[in-house]
Amino acid sequence: MAERIGRRRQIAPDPSFAARFEELTRRLSEPQPLAQARARAFARFFELGIPTRRDEAWKFTDVTRAVNRPMRLAEPRPVAVELLAPYRLGGEQAHRLVFLNGRFAPELSDCARLDGRITVTSLAELARTRPELLAHSLDALDDGRSFTALNAALVEDGAWIELAAGSQLAEPLQLLFITSGREEAVMAHPRCILRLGPACALTLIETHVGLGEAAALTNLVVQLSLAEGAFLAHDRLAFAGANQTLLAKLDGELHARSRYCQTTVVVGGALVRTEQELRIEGAEAECLLAGVALPRAHETVDNFVRVHHRAGGSHSDQHFKSIVADRGHHVFAGKIIVHPGAQKTNAYQKNDNLLLGDNAEVDTKPELEIYADDVKCSHGATCSDLDASALFYLRARGLDLETSRALLMHAFAREVIDRLRDESARALAERMVTARLGERAPLLRAEPLEEAS
Amino acid sequence: MTALLEIENLHARVDGKPILKGVSLSIAPGEVHAIMGPNGSGKSTLAFVLAGHEAYEVTDGSIRFGDEDLLAMEPEERAHAGLFLAMQYPVEIPGVGNLYFLRQALNAVRKARGLEEISAAEFLRKAREEARRLGIGEELLKRDLNVGFSGGEKKRNEILQMALLEPRLAVLDETDSGLDIDALRVVAEGVNRMRSPERGFLVITHYQRLLEYIVPDVVHVMVDGRIRRTGGPELARELEARGYEAFVGRLAA
Repeated sequence: MAERIGRRRQIAPDPSFAARFEELTRRLSEPQPLAQARARAFARFFELGIPTRRDEAWKFTDVTRAVNRPMRLAEPRPVAVELLAPYRLGGEQAHRLVFLNGRFAPELSDCARLDGRITVTSLAELARTRPELLAHSLDALDDGRSFTALNAALVEDGAWIELAAGSQLAEPLQLLFITSGREEAVMAHPRCILRLGPACALTLIETHVGLGEAAALTNLVVQLSLAEGAFLAHDRLAFAGANQTLLAKLDGELHARSRYCQTTVVVGGALVRTEQELRIEGAEAECLLAGVALPRAHETVDNFVRVHHRAGGSHSDQHFKSIVADRGHHVFAGKIIVHPGAQKTNAYQKNDNLLLGDNAEVDTKPELEIYADDVKCSHGATCSDLDASALFYLRARGLDLETSRALLMHAFAREVIDRLRDESARALAERMVTARLGERAPLLRAEPLEEAS
Repeated sequence: MTALLEIENLHARVDGKPILKGVSLSIAPGEVHAIMGPNGSGKSTLAFVLAGHEAYEVTDGSIRFGDEDLLAMEPEERAHAGLFLAMQYPVEIPGVGNLYFLRQALNAVRKARGLEEISAAEFLRKAREEARRLGIGEELLKRDLNVGFSGGEKKRNEILQMALLEPRLAVLDETDSGLDIDALRVVAEGVNRMRSPERGFLVITHYQRLLEYIVPDVVHVMVDGRIRRTGGPELARELEARGYEAFVGRLAA
């Protein structure tokens, strides 16, 4: 008996993907190893298909409508410099790579101060100068996910970033992705490969900004590796457009005593899916993930997290939050896997959600899988409206209901926002969250008052 | 002279269960009234009903606050009109700075009373001065509202809020619970400093101890949702000496 469509784990990709792939390979006419790597990835994409909600990894989010339709390969559209100004983060000293619809835009970027401590090469340049290296890198990541394979097949640009051993950068590096369309739906598949050598330190600010009302898909893949004793603070801000989809896959490996602190704030986007798979490969590594999302209208924010402890004595912590309004939808599917032998692991996972309306939806699935016996692990999830006793307390002191609600929502988001490493990222996140929660909200400030003179 | 607070035949219930069964009480400006009673007699329910907590449903009776119908007002409107409830269990609110909250609250109340917003500098000066009197350190002012405060610190913080908001009527719900003798004295002094011919207090307590520091004009004994006896400060001492049980027993007999 034929399997009914609704029960399939995947559906066939729209034929237009094949046309786009043809178009791209013809245009780029790359040398063999790279062209072959792309072809392998594209075959893999067709094999994997577009996941439906029957696929456990997409159980709560229907990605097919947003993705499985004819889209053009995005062209870099010029953007007025002043439009970008609010999103240029990290201060005067920051290194900054700006991508327009997935393509590196050197004229908008700040790379003049790059020195021997950090090497940055655009992926388009890498494809020309070291195609075999890029081919190898594309081949190296097969996670069994359709969109990773699609990215490998259609990637046009991105960045290859390396920090030499011992490089400790005080100034941040920003990756600023601007997505804008006109009428037709477009897609971009940027990829960033970031390698921190032993004892390196870096603050990375990843910013996604959607401009315009047109439909667009950004399908980003980030490959991360932290060598022994490396430290990476990763601030991620996503302000996607109302008709834009952002799929952000992060694959990372953490070696001994390395530390990775990621903080994500999502305000806006028809569908924002952050999917990450982090593998702790060395002892005493630390992996701290925090995020807050504020979906409203028909927006969906989906966090899919896998943290593998493969070495002992390491620590991981996930704390994801959401404030869901209207028909907004938040998904948290997080799993900690403690592999055999990873003793003395501390691993925690928490998902807290505020549901602001009867039609708001939260799906949460915190999971633990433990194959070692001397570990401390916990997980939990909460879903609630604003705390009634806290609301009463504020109102009993004279704050009106709306202000009290806004204050509590801010306070809820602030716990995550405060963890952003970069000050300007924190300020921008606060502005975006304030704008979303309504102007009535008392301003969110880390320090409540200026010191009086 | 118009009463500051006039409670008549107040009936209220929680989760459908009647708690207050006909409370009548009148507080004139300048007076300090104490309500004593055993656990479960309805003292805290009365406090929450006065402040307008929605979990407490008034089924009969009336409350006038000055010229206004208190029961028709939202919790924030009661605060604006000059009612203050120092809570038995102040709520911890992570993410909201203590000082920031104090200033928001003060400005909300001032605005409602037709006063100008207080400047940041003036506010800080006032807040620090009151905090110093109450033995509240700078570090506590900068922390999130009540988060990680000890029981005593929470109570002092309530009195700090009261001092800044300058209510016409302050209801203190078991403000003495969990306080050691030094903290009790500091808190009582904070209250006594605010006594004035215009301001009224309703002090709810289980023990007579607090009333040695805040000497009331009138003492009420509440048992099973009703005020069973009203007298002067000597009534508190009688209760302390004989205990509620004997008292309740005698009343019931």
